[in-house]
Amino acid sequence: MSLSPRLAWLTGLVATLSLAAVVHILVVLTIPQNTSHSAYADVANFGPDRQFNLLPDVQPGAEPLPALDPAMKHAACRFTLDEGPVLFTASIPVPFWSIGLFNEAGEAVYSLNNRTSGSDILSMLLLTPEQLSIIRENPPEDLDELIVLEIPATNGFALLRAFVPHAHQSREVDTALSTAFCGSLS
Amino acid sequence: MNVAPKTPTSQVPLHSEASWYEPDMPAIIAPRRPTPIRSLFAVLLILFAGSLLGITSAYLMIERDRPFLSVTIGPWSAYPEAGTSEADPYSVAIYTRSARIPLASGEGLAISARTDSSGATLNPACDYRISGQTPTARLWTLTAADNHGRLVPTLAGRTFLTSRQILRKEDGSFEITAARAPRPGNWLPLGLPRASETGADGMATAGGIGSGLMFTFRLYDAPITTGSALDGAVMPLIERLSCS
Repeated sequence: MSLSPRLAWLTGLVATLSLAAVVHILVVLTIPQNTSHSAYADVANFGPDRQFNLLPDVQPGAEPLPALDPAMKHAACRFTLDEGPVLFTASIPVPFWSIGLFNEAGEAVYSLNNRTSGSDILSMLLLTPEQLSIIRENPPEDLDELIVLEIPATNGFALLRAFVPHAHQSREVDTALSTAFCGSLS
Repeated sequence: MNVAPKTPTSQVPLHSEASWYEPDMPAIIAPRRPTPIRSLFAVLLILFAGSLLGITSAYLMIERDRPFLSVTIGPWSAYPEAGTSEADPYSVAIYTRSARIPLASGEGLAISARTDSSGATLNPACDYRISGQTPTARLWTLTAADNHGRLVPTLAGRTFLTSRQILRKEDGSFEITAARAPRPGNWLPLGLPRASETGADGMATAGGIGSGLMFTFRLYDAPITTGSALDGAVMPLIERLSCS
């Protein structure tokens, strides 16, 4: 079968554009699977899992993670719920702090700040639906005071942000962030 | 000895079985000789051009660093959906590729500008006045960074201003001057050019750290973390004052 020259050019053009569209969509959709590093992997560089690791100050040319606020100090904790529920507690004496929970893909799962947490002290328990039913049978005494969160993901990380109002409070905030607890329910 | 001139092929008498080949047939139904090499090249060319076009367009969309579902207020744009499970595939690709951690909705909202209020691209060699009001927030910070959101060293050593540091007018509005050199009042220091990279126009070469300028307001504990609430919101004006 053969086509007239004009029709052949048109077919070629349509074929090229359709192929380009398919390739474009494939490339965009497969980028998340093919990135060499993810936020979840990068957070592991700051220390062991299941504890809050203080991130270095956000300085030009030495940003611990991209697009962090230089006015804040950060601490990150990476966890897997396979190793049991994770408890977060912190008491940070600053006008503003917030915590965000992210899954392995770096999507925000849950977040709160010091106003929405209800008190100035953070106490939050993260668990899977199965772990929740186990804990319900034999609840710890302070379960009422905890924010209990069921999340479907098992791997993830928490990023704690604390605003530093003045440079002289920097050390105080550092201490508060590094004493923040992230780990197993005792 | 004289060689007789070759007879043109069209005048070669047709074989008896090829008598259906009438040279005066309409071009559209006239059979053509198969050209396998040419067809092969055409197919290869289509494959190559299509892949190249697809990959290049995807690369450009991702490198542009601007997710699709944005909410814009003048020169300011926010991506409330980026970094959540509702994000569009482009912002998912952009966020995972750069491994950046978004501000979650319970924390705050980041709003960035890459142009001034007249639409001109921001240039770190110029002075800008950022004046007006921000949407309600318990705390906000204003950061100056390069095109890709990376911080650049400044004269003052700091790269940000916060709502707790600034002087306000009686009506609660503020006026910030963004410049490389110190300014009276609310001064947002801009990144200094790197000596080795500056071109003739005073701008750092494209692509390197310090190329371009982006202002980012991070509104913490703001009621407007969802797109619809941002509709009537007011953001400050950005005016170019002078360029060095």
